[in-house]
Amino acid sequence: MEWTPIWLSLKLAAITTFILLIIGIPIAYWLSRRSSWVKVIFEAILTMPLVLPPSVLGFYLLLTFSPNSPIGKWLLDYFNLSLVFSFEGLVVASVVYSFPFMISPVKSALAHLPASLAEASYTMGKSKLETFYRVLLPNIKSSLLTATVLTFAHTLGEFGVVLMIGGKLEGVTKVASIAIYDAVDNNQYGQAHQYSLVLFAITFAIVILVFVFNRNSSGGPLE
Amino acid sequence: MFRRLISSGIITLMVMPAFAQTVRVAVAANAQYVVKKLATDFKKKTGLTVEVISGSSGKLSAQIQNGAPYDLFLSADMDFAQSVYGNGFALTKPKTYAYGSLIVCSSTGADVKNWKKYIATSTSGKIAIGNPKLAPYGKAAEESLNHFALYKAIASRLVFAESISQVNTYVLKGVVNIGFTTESLFYELDASQKFVWEKVDPSSYEPIAQGAVLLKHAKNKNYSNNKKFYDYLFSADAKAIFRKFGYKTA
Repeated sequence: MEWTPIWLSLKLAAITTFILLIIGIPIAYWLSRRSSWVKVIFEAILTMPLVLPPSVLGFYLLLTFSPNSPIGKWLLDYFNLSLVFSFEGLVVASVVYSFPFMISPVKSALAHLPASLAEASYTMGKSKLETFYRVLLPNIKSSLLTATVLTFAHTLGEFGVVLMIGGKLEGVTKVASIAIYDAVDNNQYGQAHQYSLVLFAITFAIVILVFVFNRNSSGGPLE
Repeated sequence: MFRRLISSGIITLMVMPAFAQTVRVAVAANAQYVVKKLATDFKKKTGLTVEVISGSSGKLSAQIQNGAPYDLFLSADMDFAQSVYGNGFALTKPKTYAYGSLIVCSSTGADVKNWKKYIATSTSGKIAIGNPKLAPYGKAAEESLNHFALYKAIASRLVFAESISQVNTYVLKGVVNIGFTTESLFYELDASQKFVWEKVDPSSYEPIAQGAVLLKHAKNKNYSNNKKFYDYLFSADAKAIFRKFGYKTA
């Protein structure tokens, strides 16, 4: 069995999760503060990938980043960067696609923290940033873990978007889910079984991990 | 936890493997098997690696026109190759590398020898053809069914597959009773597979002339390697392999 697609999936999931941790947590924090209609719309847009068919996202990403479009051409001309049929493109697509999985658990956990927690910290002279990192975040550790793990697992399971903008390039965009599809297409059922089994094992272990870690909290795995 | 996540993220970013330069060939689904055989032979002769990406001709041509980094395109017909060339994505005009042959087949024991009578009278099971808009073999199947005035009668039982490989999957797994596909499928099966097939009368559909083009992307890197594979496609050795797998060559 070729391990490259599995490795590629893990790499894509790791990078996506890493990027989403950096940009997702501040956004989740911002969204968890007093709500306004701007935030409602913003959050709705970020949550859309959860319900929108991946083909819709893939289709418009393809059009946007195609070298025939102004944006795609600009990226190519000035940065020599192509976001279609490239690994970088998959990262961008996965970040968009997995956004709600990072945002929603973190936001809901932050919103449920008692306001007195932050206030106590402020009265002791801590800055907003310090309060956030040393008081708020440690208090939502289990939600952070859930968000991280779900983002990772969800990216591993990505298929539709990758199929639209990836193009099955060996070692570049042919991630495990696509390799299974390709193996079935080419009559290599043995290989399809192997990839499926490995993916099953990884995702199963991940989900078990979340359940074990969160077994004492009453919420479901998505909270 | 964060520090650990961040450092593992950075490590992951740093160890992105660099892939060796290969000739990337986008191949119509019907020919993916034979082109892999060609790739093996080509590697033996030149030491160069060929990566095969397969899909329906229509899908591959759309990908190419949206910037897919392929070096060659082996279509299942001339039209898709021509559209790629006409829109300025190819260096060479479409050239026929092989002529395909359409078969009717079954792994569920349908009477394919008398398939015209069989599909007109038996109502059991579905019939798979490639999507005529994307897969030239699907188009040929549609032409043939129309030629024998069978299309209307069986239209409700037709299943349109995304590419010819999907037709093959449907047939081999027995989810359809009958499928129209490429003759070359037969040569990639092992003897244990239950499979009956019959050639579809070639006069009932337009000849399936399969065109290849060398793409603009081939110029970016290792042009000479890409050109070498393009030339190899039309060599006597390659033609012999094509013929071995059920194609005709000029």
